[in-house]
Amino acid sequence: MSEVLLELKNVTMKFGGVTALNEVNVQVKKGEILALIGPNGAGKTTIFNVITGVYKPTSGEINFNGKSLIGKKRHQVTKMGIARTFQNIRLFGESTALENVVTGADIHSKSGVIGAIFGTPRSRREEKAALDRGLELLEFMGLRKRAGQLGKNLPYGDQRRLEIARALATNPQLVLLDEPAAGFNPAEKVALAETIKRIRDAGYTVLLIEHDMSLIMGISDRVVVIDFGTKIADDLPSVVQNDPRVIEAYLGAPADAS
Amino acid sequence: MSKVTFNLRDKGAQFWDKSPRWRRVLLSVIFIAICYALPFLNNPILNTPGSDFQSVLFYPVGMYVMMAIGLNIVVGKSGLLDLGYVAFFAIGAYTMAVLGTKTSLNFWEILPIGVGLAMLSGVLLGTPTLRLRGDYLAIVTMGFGEIVRIVAVNTSAIGGSRGIAGIPTPPPAFKAKFTILDPKPYYWLLLTFTLLIIWMVRRLAARRPGRAWDAIRQDDDVAQLMGINTRRSKVWAFVLGAAVAGVGGVIYASQILSIVPDQFNLNVSILILACVVFGGIGNLWGVIVGAVILAFTPERIRFLSQPRILVFGMALVIMMNLRPDGMLPKKKREHLEADWDHVEESGEGEIK
Amino acid sequence: MDFALLRDAFWGLTFDGLALGAIYALISLGYTLVYGVLRLINFAHSEVFMIGTFGALVAASGIMGVKVEDDPRTGGSMILTLVVCLIAAMLASAFTAVAVEFVAYRRLRKRGATKLATLISAIGVSISLVEFFRIITHSLPREFPRIMEKSFLFHFAGADIRNDKVIVIVAAGLMMVALDQFISKSRLGKGIRAVSMDENTATLMGVNINRVITVTFFAGGLMAGAAAFFYILTYENTSFKVGFFLGISAFTAAVLGGIGNLRGALFGGFVLGLMETYTSAVFGTAWKAVISFIILVLVLLIKPTGLFGESITQARV
Ligand SMILES: Nc1ncnc2c1ncn2[C@@H]1O[C@H](COP(=O)(O)OP(=O)(O)OP(=O)(O)O)[C@@H](O)[C@H]1O
Ligand SMILES: [Mg+2]
Repeated sequence: MSEVLLELKNVTMKFGGVTALNEVNVQVKKGEILALIGPNGAGKTTIFNVITGVYKPTSGEINFNGKSLIGKKRHQVTKMGIARTFQNIRLFGESTALENVVTGADIHSKSGVIGAIFGTPRSRREEKAALDRGLELLEFMGLRKRAGQLGKNLPYGDQRRLEIARALATNPQLVLLDEPAAGFNPAEKVALAETIKRIRDAGYTVLLIEHDMSLIMGISDRVVVIDFGTKIADDLPSVVQNDPRVIEAYLGAPADAS
Repeated sequence: MSKVTFNLRDKGAQFWDKSPRWRRVLLSVIFIAICYALPFLNNPILNTPGSDFQSVLFYPVGMYVMMAIGLNIVVGKSGLLDLGYVAFFAIGAYTMAVLGTKTSLNFWEILPIGVGLAMLSGVLLGTPTLRLRGDYLAIVTMGFGEIVRIVAVNTSAIGGSRGIAGIPTPPPAFKAKFTILDPKPYYWLLLTFTLLIIWMVRRLAARRPGRAWDAIRQDDDVAQLMGINTRRSKVWAFVLGAAVAGVGGVIYASQILSIVPDQFNLNVSILILACVVFGGIGNLWGVIVGAVILAFTPERIRFLSQPRILVFGMALVIMMNLRPDGMLPKKKREHLEADWDHVEESGEGEIK
Repeated sequence: MDFALLRDAFWGLTFDGLALGAIYALISLGYTLVYGVLRLINFAHSEVFMIGTFGALVAASGIMGVKVEDDPRTGGSMILTLVVCLIAAMLASAFTAVAVEFVAYRRLRKRGATKLATLISAIGVSISLVEFFRIITHSLPREFPRIMEKSFLFHFAGADIRNDKVIVIVAAGLMMVALDQFISKSRLGKGIRAVSMDENTATLMGVNINRVITVTFFAGGLMAGAAAFFYILTYENTSFKVGFFLGISAFTAAVLGGIGNLRGALFGGFVLGLMETYTSAVFGTAWKAVISFIILVLVLLIKPTGLFGESITQARV
């Protein structure tokens, strides 16, 4: 077995009276594509939120590369190597596509205000590197042509892809994708599946929330199923697919899950 | 009028984008030269009754332009509503006044101290308060602006409510003598600093700090999740704004020779904010145009002596009702026909 | 620093603080109501208050014919004068508030303008009103005639309790109860609460947003007008700039209690009134604003949503 990159141990998240996550245990292994599925309101996005420091879990532990993420600021989590996209697209709409990605790539720069004002060699070098990285990622996501367009003016699908590019720009070890195929037609879904595989092949680990079963079956190495904040299955796609509990929870009634 | 200014801006921007480097340099040089030559302009339309045109150029016009550029870093770029900007101006002015009258330091030696103190107070105010939400930040900064004034009124060591008189003028520089009678050298001094600040702001805006401010203004949460230390970026914006106001304060005090606390009231903060919003928030040139208009108009219509501020207030309301985004709103130019047009949408690139 | 004064005159100061706090509380209700429905600071609210004081002034001299050099009135005539002035102040403020909304906010809201643009528009109205009154009053303060003889009603724990302040505290309390009833019981009041909770849902439920907003400004104006009358009754003069400092304090009170929260505004008003009175006794009046500010910052840093938390809906006022 390959080594564990991220580990959630008995994570519980309560919002007032609502228990969004209940003693959840999840392990993400290096280099895999792990899918996170479950009905609406199951707590999937909440898992992303507790990992990235948006919320502090009520109890439980979260370790990344053996280091605890609890209490870390959001930007520190990102610097440690976790990047994410959002279920409801949250691009910087007034910035161009390239600026969006470069904003992510800036995480590697050390020079700040002083460097920028005086144009120190390091600042110039880092600006160049961030720009190159941004262009490279736009190219990778098939968005190179969109570089100069404002985020809010991009077509829907490109906005979703740009979010992925922006997340990758921070050069994470782990990418969290929150329903990246939402609103896509079948052809776009196939293309996206390819892209996600290419992301994994480029050395990233992927944690993916998705509703489309066929997409998940096609690309994920393992599937974790959440229902009402509790983990009800964690296995190979083919096993999960035939688990009666999953079928019942996910589809409400036994039916063809593929 | 609105259509015209709109088109002028777009046309201007297009022309600029398409210009080769030599033409840009030439245009900039001509523009700067005109700015320096302004005091020699003797035009009845521009003449301001009551106070002479050259003085008006220094204060309020030049001063407002500089301060509006500084406040625009805070409000326009980073989206932080600061209603107490005058405080940093006051700190600069008081540094000049106190050190100028009580020590033998001259203007050039006091300037960095004044700017440093303004920046320091920016850090002290910003570090705890910048995590507050917009409206709260507004009231806290507004309170801070008033507090600085009240402290000045009640501290007899710095003159109390009578303020400080006999502030020395800067020593001569480049054959220009700084005297009470001639506002021209002060204007040139101010202009030089303003150009320097514009240059710095443009650099910042195009690089990493500018991108971070853009991100924070648009979506603070996402900015954090993209690895931006938003707290630090905001404090920087605050401190840079404070530095600009500090420069303004030191120069102002050295020209006006005596200052009293009541000059630094809330109205100054509001007026400068009005310049920023009136001209087109976030857009450097819009802000400059806004400041020129708002500073110059009340002087130009001084013949209306009594109702001139009233007219100013109504103009703000009308303007905001007609053009809520200001005269020259910020509009990001899209580079559709830029050089990467030939690139195929392959989606096959490599990443490391 | 004079802690002895605070100790010796504690009950008298407390009483004065409550009277001042009642005025702050009434004004801050206007800030909080408007913030609840529009999520905006009504910058011109201080001028709504200022115009209330002039409304009372005009009513006293114009309608009731009281002159500054007259002796205070007594009996029925006194009560009638007080009531007429109070109503005049409330109406003057309320109609000003509605006009402010119409001029400064309505169009911008329909166009979906930014918060900042709206703020500047309101600031423009505020400047215009202050300037208008500066010009017509020739920049001079105006005296308000003494309508009622001010005397000490009773003596309590070493403090003399003055009759006009008792009236202020009691009447302000009644106003707040009336507003409370209006917001929680009446149809329009429920509309205000619905819009404060969620504008879109309220619209879907058939709430007429424009009318709710107008009513909100009107109600906030009525409260500010009452505050204006109590202010001028106590201090017996006003000027074009009277709104400024009271406005800042009242706004601070609203934030202190958690802006958008009615109960918080009341509480914030009284707390601030007391704090300002105590601290001026200790440090001198000059420093009271500084101390209130420091306390405000501390409260915000420790509990950024104010003492009572935000949102008009949380307080079941
Ligand atoms: N900030 C919050 N405050 C209160 N409740 C919340 C909050 N965030 C999430 N919840 C609740 O937690 C539960 C899980 O929400 P979550 O967004 O994680 O679901 P999800 O699995 O991502 O669903 P979907 O498929 O619809 O995106 C829901 O009941 C939701 O209402
Ligand atoms: Mg979700």
